[in-house]
Amino acid sequence: MKRKYVVAAFTATVVTAAGLTGCSAGDATSGDGTDGPVTISILESKQTNIDAISKEIPGFEAAMKEQGKDIKVDLIADVLTDEQVKTKLTQQLIAGQAPDVLDIGENMAIAWSSAGYLEPLDSYLDQWEGWEHYYPAVKEAMTRQDGQVYNLPSGAGVLNLFYRKDVLEQLGVDTTQPKTWDDLISRLEKVKAATGGTPIVIPAGTAWGGGTWGEGFQPLLGGTDTGYYDSETATWDLDTPGWLAVFELYAELVQKGLMPVQDLQNPNPWEPTKYVKFPAGDIQVSAQGTWGWKFDWGPDGATPIDGLTEKVSTWQWPGLRDGDQPYGWSSTGGGYAISADSDKKAAAFEFIKYLSSGKPLAEQLVASGAASARDDLDDVAPYSGEPQLLQAGEDLSNSVFVVTGDGADQISQAVATATELILSGQADGKQAYEAFKKDATDLLGPSLVKQ
Amino acid sequence: MTSIIDVPAAVQTAEQPPAPRRRRARTWPLVLLLLGPSAVLIVLFIVLPAVYGIWLSLTNTQLTGFAARNPKFVGFDNYAYLLGSTDFLGSLGQTGTFLFWSAIVGQTVLGMVAAILLSRPWIRGKGFFGAALLMPMVVPEVVASLTWASVLATSPEGTLNRLTAVFGSEPTAWLQTAPMLAIILVNIWRGLAFAMIMFQAALEDVPAELIEAARVDGASAVQVFRHVTLPLIRGPVFLYLLLTTISTVGVFGLVYFLTRGGPGGQTRIAAIYIYERALQFSQIGIGSAASIILLVIVVVLGFTYVRLAKVEV
Repeated sequence: MKRKYVVAAFTATVVTAAGLTGCSAGDATSGDGTDGPVTISILESKQTNIDAISKEIPGFEAAMKEQGKDIKVDLIADVLTDEQVKTKLTQQLIAGQAPDVLDIGENMAIAWSSAGYLEPLDSYLDQWEGWEHYYPAVKEAMTRQDGQVYNLPSGAGVLNLFYRKDVLEQLGVDTTQPKTWDDLISRLEKVKAATGGTPIVIPAGTAWGGGTWGEGFQPLLGGTDTGYYDSETATWDLDTPGWLAVFELYAELVQKGLMPVQDLQNPNPWEPTKYVKFPAGDIQVSAQGTWGWKFDWGPDGATPIDGLTEKVSTWQWPGLRDGDQPYGWSSTGGGYAISADSDKKAAAFEFIKYLSSGKPLAEQLVASGAASARDDLDDVAPYSGEPQLLQAGEDLSNSVFVVTGDGADQISQAVATATELILSGQADGKQAYEAFKKDATDLLGPSLVKQ
Repeated sequence: MTSIIDVPAAVQTAEQPPAPRRRRARTWPLVLLLLGPSAVLIVLFIVLPAVYGIWLSLTNTQLTGFAARNPKFVGFDNYAYLLGSTDFLGSLGQTGTFLFWSAIVGQTVLGMVAAILLSRPWIRGKGFFGAALLMPMVVPEVVASLTWASVLATSPEGTLNRLTAVFGSEPTAWLQTAPMLAIILVNIWRGLAFAMIMFQAALEDVPAELIEAARVDGASAVQVFRHVTLPLIRGPVFLYLLLTTISTVGVFGLVYFLTRGGPGGQTRIAAIYIYERALQFSQIGIGSAASIILLVIVVVLGFTYVRLAKVEV
């Protein structure tokens, strides 16, 4: 009997210990301010950023040491898609277990700042002279509904249409800037007639995740109708005419067989399109941000294109409705943020400042293919040696951007679902718009929809 | 035909005279010690989260946006919304289709056929067939999903497209043209082994004399199976149906990796719908309500199976 009790006690101890081990979360290093030993953490989910940040960490730690501060950085390298990052970090932020520094996209910044998960940076920015060098348009884009800034852009970009100049010239297709979508569609039909393929890819459907809204639909919508978000009432206007025009454009591109609908419905649709067919010249036009020059097709990118700058060039987005002019769409909304639950905020901001200044910033911009959001970086190497990025920086000033607020995430989901209906042939443009309106109204709730 | 099943051994054991009260009093600390830790863990990690899930389903809790700051009690609004939502009802319909064809028809029927075939004395290479059928069960879900993604890939390099190309067919986007059929087949493939093992074990318990007697009475193989074997293994069959219903309704990874609920929501089974609502759309209140509705449906199905398992034949 005694032996039984010993076995039982041992089993109980093991089970309890195993259970409780899972509950424990240890972090021996703590402390705010920047005087004592502090270890801050940052999550990066793209390999390019992981490489770029890991290069900057020793320099930061040394710079802090020179200032008499003992700050170490723990880089959490976790290669994930944007959707996965959003899901993972949302849980961590709610649980108060998120990394101190977050490198996030615009929709995440909007959704998390309004939920109170991010630390307002205004008090830090007021004391930092570097903030004065950010372009006014960028500052405006960073300012959320409550008038505060929650994230500092790690870079900026201009979304345009990238096209295979070499292939189009071979096919005898005009490569001058198309003024309207009608003009561009007639050229794409010529390409299709010659190749039998699907000549253009614009993010669409649910598989592309947030990219459908951020890199496809929103640039199209914002170029023809900036009234879809009312900053004063912080509501979305779902009745403004631009929505229908964009859904009809998507439907026309699909109905005419110009978009690779099957690829767009596969998981990770950017792989067969941007990473296989565009580099091979089988897709000739692609919606793409400045980062295409490095992150996607650069020598160290996902799928390098030899002689990239000779083979590829860019058009601005053509006008969609009568009177619209070609335009570039700026992408400036994401960047570095600090978790509201971080107990090392001052040290975290020191790191953000370091990453957002001088050579460290220049190196990151070149690595990720982003333009500078600051006016004092054009002469800083290696950024100064990148003509495409410098040009994108200049283009930022005359690009279109619409500052939005709470609900961007829900709009993104509703757009993805509605464009999926077009891709699968279940809806034309008008039906997709109606489905979108219903879905978006459901998701946003009455307080975020303009009445 | 009336059942002539002997009382199972387990029941006989249960009917042994009760232990003396004093002895029971002496052993309860040991029982408590052995079961206590498990009970605590079950309460902590299963019961409390479930109760919290029920509470969440009665609120408008969101994970992001301003709504996340101040969740409110909304009573049964989420349930009313879901029961009037064509998307949710559609996802329940797709779950039903997926469950019926992959678990109830596919796994159960094919598992039974495999078990019967492997129990035949004249079958050669039982070890090989048994191992081949068992393999899908030991492969992790993610690996199984990625393997099938490769088999069903749209490109000419996809395994199935390579096979059909031998007959001159053009490459087909299987996951777009027949997405529901694809996930049903993959789920059958994955669950077949468990069904086979359960049914094989049950068939071994069927007394050979009964089969023999039925044969002597002139019953055909089908009649023997229908009127002798099946009633005798009714318990394990319904137990398997219960288990496979629970696990199939909860299937997520397999479908998420293969189709993510697409194209156009054609494979948006309830688990995918709940994931989208709760984690992608951040509407944890609605997601929780959808989970509770699904739980109720599974519980009702479970009780139905239990009830059917007790029916006299």
